[in-house]
Amino acid sequence: MNTWVYLHFPHLLLDYQQALQPPEQNQAPYALFESHAARRTLVQVNAAALQAGVKVGMADVLASTLAPSLRVHRYSLSQEQRVLTQLAQVLYQDIAQIVLYPPQGLLCEVRSLVRLHGGYQAVMTRLQSRVEQWPLRYCLSSGYSPLAAKLLAEAGTPVVTDDGDSVQQAIAALPIQHSGLAGSHIKKLCHVGFITVGDLLKRPPAEVGVRFGRAVMTYMAELSGTFKPPQAFYHPPDKFDEKVELSSEVSSWVQLLFPLKRLLQQAESFLQSHQWSTRALVIRAHHRQGPSTQVSIQFAHAVWQHHDLLQLSQLHLERQQLRQPVLALSVRLQRPEPRQAKHAQLLAGATTGQDQLSALVSRLQARLGERSVQSIQYTEDWRPERQGGVQPWQFGQQPQPLKQQRPCWLLPQVQPINRQQWQLQWGPERIVSGWWDAKPIKRDYYIAVDQAQRQGWIFYSQQGWYLHGWFT
Amino acid sequence: MAFPAQVEALVKQGLVWQGQQAPLHKSPSSVLTTGWPELDQRLGGGWLQGCVHELQLQLPFIGELALLFPLLSQPNITSLWVNPPAVPYAPGLSYQNIALSQQVVVQEPDDTLALWAAEQALQSKAVDLVLFWHATGLSAAAVRRLQQAAEAAQKTVFIITATQPKDDARAYAMRLRLTKSATAQLQVAVLKRRYGWPLPPFPCAIESRLPKRRRAL
Repeated sequence: MNTWVYLHFPHLLLDYQQALQPPEQNQAPYALFESHAARRTLVQVNAAALQAGVKVGMADVLASTLAPSLRVHRYSLSQEQRVLTQLAQVLYQDIAQIVLYPPQGLLCEVRSLVRLHGGYQAVMTRLQSRVEQWPLRYCLSSGYSPLAAKLLAEAGTPVVTDDGDSVQQAIAALPIQHSGLAGSHIKKLCHVGFITVGDLLKRPPAEVGVRFGRAVMTYMAELSGTFKPPQAFYHPPDKFDEKVELSSEVSSWVQLLFPLKRLLQQAESFLQSHQWSTRALVIRAHHRQGPSTQVSIQFAHAVWQHHDLLQLSQLHLERQQLRQPVLALSVRLQRPEPRQAKHAQLLAGATTGQDQLSALVSRLQARLGERSVQSIQYTEDWRPERQGGVQPWQFGQQPQPLKQQRPCWLLPQVQPINRQQWQLQWGPERIVSGWWDAKPIKRDYYIAVDQAQRQGWIFYSQQGWYLHGWFT
Repeated sequence: MAFPAQVEALVKQGLVWQGQQAPLHKSPSSVLTTGWPELDQRLGGGWLQGCVHELQLQLPFIGELALLFPLLSQPNITSLWVNPPAVPYAPGLSYQNIALSQQVVVQEPDDTLALWAAEQALQSKAVDLVLFWHATGLSAAAVRRLQQAAEAAQKTVFIITATQPKDDARAYAMRLRLTKSATAQLQVAVLKRRYGWPLPPFPCAIESRLPKRRRAL
């Protein structure tokens, strides 16, 4: 019975940075280094660099001799931890109990999922397919205890099975150097002649404890699963505000689409795990100097799938200019809201029609700007210019206007007219209103025809005669 | 009249013009009634679905919207208004039984973007009708694109523009010219139509949906 699965990502940060770039850029050798005093050692390398003979632990001088086109970048622990948290969020869609083992590991509890997915193997397949959405190199291993799974994954000798015995055998065959014990303990154990972890496990724990100290005894108990240290399970945050650092400067939105897509995928998994959808997000591009460029995007309908988010964001970004090269990109979701359950099928037609209209409006607004897409509004006011008009699109039931003979066009500005050219047909209708605010009106409205026999709506006020609308 | 099978198929699709005044093969599904019997009769049933119509105006506000009132006031018709020449006025539209929540207005001075918006609307399932105002008349390429989009989605499009010179060929399925006669009636001339010759101006009684002359001053 293997309850635990451990995922080890030996090149997490580097793989993640490469995932943000289009695949063809990843053909060049690339590595991350860490500095120890004057020496710079490589800690993560990509596949192209491995092919050229570069290895982890090599000095960067040697590596660049082997692969002259090698690009190096400083490794950052905090960045890698952030990536790990993001990854946990992605996995959280499938697995409820995840423990972060920074900087490169994730521990998952899978026993409780076996019944849901119908078998241990099905859980594994699901987990693997989820991880493989990201082009990350990983090592996944099962284990009857958290430590057993961790050791096997980190040693690169994974065992993926529900069978406890094969895990036990693999653990027993593990060299003592990979045991995860402190260096001094490993040295002592080697001197006594313990070559593998199995040699140690064969001894009675009490005697080992007397000889090598409590730490080794606890280690044995933890490995066999009799001692269960408390685990700090991961809880997804309530806000989504993620940032990615780019490995090189980027000067156009088109090049930013790839990292943006990744971020929006994460946003989708965030929304999915909360069963939320969103109506607004903010994309920020961070520059080397000065304030970041901020693009805030509103949607007319609630969305949560990354391709919807991407499509609408793309239309917005086409209207934006980047003044400076970009170093990092971040996405913040605003106003998440619970997804609304769709009503029964009886009204399905009407709802989808509305949804489609909202989706169309979102798309138009994204490209043309929010003010360009309008709906026709009615307000309860007697002043004609206030009674009806257009406003930026909003969906909703409106009050039903009174049945009055009114023109179907209203001119944005009233036009002065020559009364001689108009022939009155009907009227007057006196409208006196608005004495309570700054724009009172006192007008006599007539329906009249002009010289071309078009029906217009004209009024007489103290300033003279004006045309205000057309009936046709 | 009997045709060979292949020709019969073409006739059914409406691709063969037969020289009659009215087409023999009216399929009611592909037309939307205009609401004006005199117009329906001359257009072979009504506005064509999946086609771009052009309305040429002698003067703006001559009666083009009144001509479309019956179509717009049908329930379940959602329309996109691109660049209307004035503010569509809610009380007046509501008086004509046009549902305000089903009208989307787009104001976009840039022609390319306005056409893009119209095309998007045609591709979306939400919109049934596109009204497109253009001051000077669309280019041949733009009309062709819209016609293709309308045909693919089986939607109806109206381009409302000023009077165009006669010899400018465009891919419109139907071109109508609206003028006013001396007797104040709206005259509709069919410059181009499917399955038939152009027709001389004839009156269309749109006054029935307009305010009546109640009392002379």
